[in-house]
Amino acid sequence: MAGCGLLGRLARRLWAAAPGRPLWAAASGSRGQLGFVVRHVNSATWWHEHLSEENVEFLKKITAEEYKAQTASKLCPLKDEPWPLNEWKPDSIRVGVVAVKLGMMPIWTKSGKKHAVTLLKVQDCHVLRYISKEESGGKISKLLVGGKNGSPFFKSEAAMEIFKEAGVPPKQKVTTFNVTDDAIIKPGTPLYAAHFRPGQFVDVTAKTIGKGFQGVMKRWGFKGQPASHGQTKTHRRPGAISTNKASKVYRGKKMPGKMGNIYRTSFGLKVWRINTKHDIIYVNGSVPGHTNCLVKVKDSKLPTYKDCNKNPPFPTFFADGDENLPEDLYDEEIFQFTDPSVTYA
Amino acid sequence: MAAACGRLWRPNAGVLGLAARPARCLSLSGCRISSDGKPAKFQPPPKPVIIDKQKQRDEKRFLSPEFIPPRGRIDPLKLFLERKDMIQRRKVFNIPEFYVGSILAVTTADPYANNKTNRFVGICIQRGGKGLGATFVLRNVIEGQGVEICYELYSPRIQAIEVLKLEKRLDDNLMYLRDALPEYSTFDMNMKPVSHLDHEEVPVNKLQVRMKPKPWSKRWERPKYNIKGIKFELPEAKMRAAQKWSQPWLEFDMMREYDTSKIEEKIWKESG
Amino acid sequence: MAPEPSAALQLWHQPGAFVWQHQVWQKWVTRIQMALLTQQLGLSLTHLSSAVIQRHFSITGASLAIQKLTRVRVVDNSALGNTPYHRPPKCIHVYNKTGVGKVGDKILLAIKGEKKKALIVGHKMPGPTMTPRFDSNNVVLIEDNGNPIGTRIKTPIPYILRQREGEFSKVLAIARNFV
Repeated sequence: MAGCGLLGRLARRLWAAAPGRPLWAAASGSRGQLGFVVRHVNSATWWHEHLSEENVEFLKKITAEEYKAQTASKLCPLKDEPWPLNEWKPDSIRVGVVAVKLGMMPIWTKSGKKHAVTLLKVQDCHVLRYISKEESGGKISKLLVGGKNGSPFFKSEAAMEIFKEAGVPPKQKVTTFNVTDDAIIKPGTPLYAAHFRPGQFVDVTAKTIGKGFQGVMKRWGFKGQPASHGQTKTHRRPGAISTNKASKVYRGKKMPGKMGNIYRTSFGLKVWRINTKHDIIYVNGSVPGHTNCLVKVKDSKLPTYKDCNKNPPFPTFFADGDENLPEDLYDEEIFQFTDPSVTYA
Repeated sequence: MAAACGRLWRPNAGVLGLAARPARCLSLSGCRISSDGKPAKFQPPPKPVIIDKQKQRDEKRFLSPEFIPPRGRIDPLKLFLERKDMIQRRKVFNIPEFYVGSILAVTTADPYANNKTNRFVGICIQRGGKGLGATFVLRNVIEGQGVEICYELYSPRIQAIEVLKLEKRLDDNLMYLRDALPEYSTFDMNMKPVSHLDHEEVPVNKLQVRMKPKPWSKRWERPKYNIKGIKFELPEAKMRAAQKWSQPWLEFDMMREYDTSKIEEKIWKESG
Repeated sequence: MAPEPSAALQLWHQPGAFVWQHQVWQKWVTRIQMALLTQQLGLSLTHLSSAVIQRHFSITGASLAIQKLTRVRVVDNSALGNTPYHRPPKCIHVYNKTGVGKVGDKILLAIKGEKKKALIVGHKMPGPTMTPRFDSNNVVLIEDNGNPIGTRIKTPIPYILRQREGEFSKVLAIARNFV
């Protein structure tokens, strides 16, 4: 109530000053008019405080150019001192990539069957850092991989350190991949969609779409209660949450709460097609997350698909011209649109 | 390619049209110079300009509706890749221009049919889907039994799409034919194609269908559907009651407008 | 063979009208009793007749999915399926795991007071693309051993049934045309 009173008084004072309108003008000068919804703009960085507008523009331009040059220089990894390459062994684990989910489209097989595929674009994906077995705790070595260039303006110095070391522009998304010692890659190496090959199976991890705070029926699929037959205020409630004898609520009881926005993995998705020019992976079925979200793609860990994932490009595909790939790589079952229509003899 | 794609895809057609116009201007100017300046020196009459009717038609090129992407935040690259596949399919397979209301014959490969091919004739009552997943629904009444088949436009199982009668109806969606008298969706399976010249405007069939008695699958008299192709035989009071659901303010909602002309232009530029 | 108009009638007036008539009759009977009490019999009788004339034959459309209690249309020429009866044939069980019958599923029908098995040969519910969707839920009556009761099927049958040629060879043999 006190707050209300204060506001009221303020309003009255403003109203009193209204005939001349100078106070209104002063108030509206910086913040826009009262009652107008102004889009929130984050202007709290060091840049905004200390630089004039032209300088900000100039810096933005020059950093963008610099990052472009950096990426371009990394496109041809120095062949003079690469890390030793090893042969692929059945127990070696390769690194994965970070990709952008573009959306879905249909694809047809040569037998005329339709499949839905998700398009994943491998965009500015670089290896950032190698963490040896000892550093990471003694079990398995790790590789940090980042994808999709981001703005440097909203990252702390410490966070920028890792990109500076690798010599690549800052990334929107950084993830870790567990790799075996024979599959380690030099930091700064770009990764491409041709890292995967059609016919192999992958696991895709991403944050699911957030649904906010939800009740038990939507979140856990509880049955709820009938709509009628004498129900009073009881239609979508969880019902009893424990028993008289237990006299407590067990940990992990399914209750209402925040739903979605957690990491989920779809396992064993077949790669149908690869576009090497635009770095697109066409993966069977759906993938967690909304369109344009960043996902983590790696070789399937399911033992069923071990046979399909044999002899991949190891430790990764290098775009140094050793292997000339066509623009589109197809699985042998896939119908290509250059072929005539399907017939059944 | 142009021959294979028929009327739909003539990427160099626009260029031809442009080339024709400057040529005519030049000849005109040449005439004027000769008339006011030099004395009578024989000039061969200008070559007759043959205006190809086909070229005139190029002004209104037809862009298949599935090329226009839905509103949203889809990456343009994804739309581009999808379009590339669609154009590639159209290069090897002739997908003709057709509209809701046109009568089509579709031949599909079917492993269970006689001769492994299946031909169905019907009126197109709906076109749906965007991009590679575009579909169209054909409807016919065979031996008193209404049959509808939903075809995928880019499915490789489709072997031929034949336009038997190219025309439009008053509405963009003819789902109400399900509730109309069966004679309005009955078509002969051995129908002969009706010839249609390329340069002609696509005719609009202003047929108004009579409906079966209610109940219908939808309340077609409601303003939401904005149906013009039905001859409503409902009592006046019912028609007035249906107007209660009209939302006349929606046409003034500028957020609902989706201007696709720029997108169309871009697609034409990209393909041609 | 039934004459053409009546077949058409059956097509677009899915049965169920009989049920409605029964209910409405009961309603009107009670109303008439009330009217008798209020001594206004003549007035309500005129109301009744005008109401009945205005009302259409059928009240609800047929269900899209074939599940329990869906009214179906028998499309063969068996005597059981074609003689009129005051109650339409209804599905009382679907022999599959989902409970929703699709083309090729067997169902149990309640028809003319007896139980009879039937084979679904078309439904209103849209199936996968490039397969036909029909305007009515069509079934063919079969014996317990799978032999059809009728000798002719009047309407088109989807080709996809031939996928299970071995099972339904006798039903497919009496079909006249396919879609």
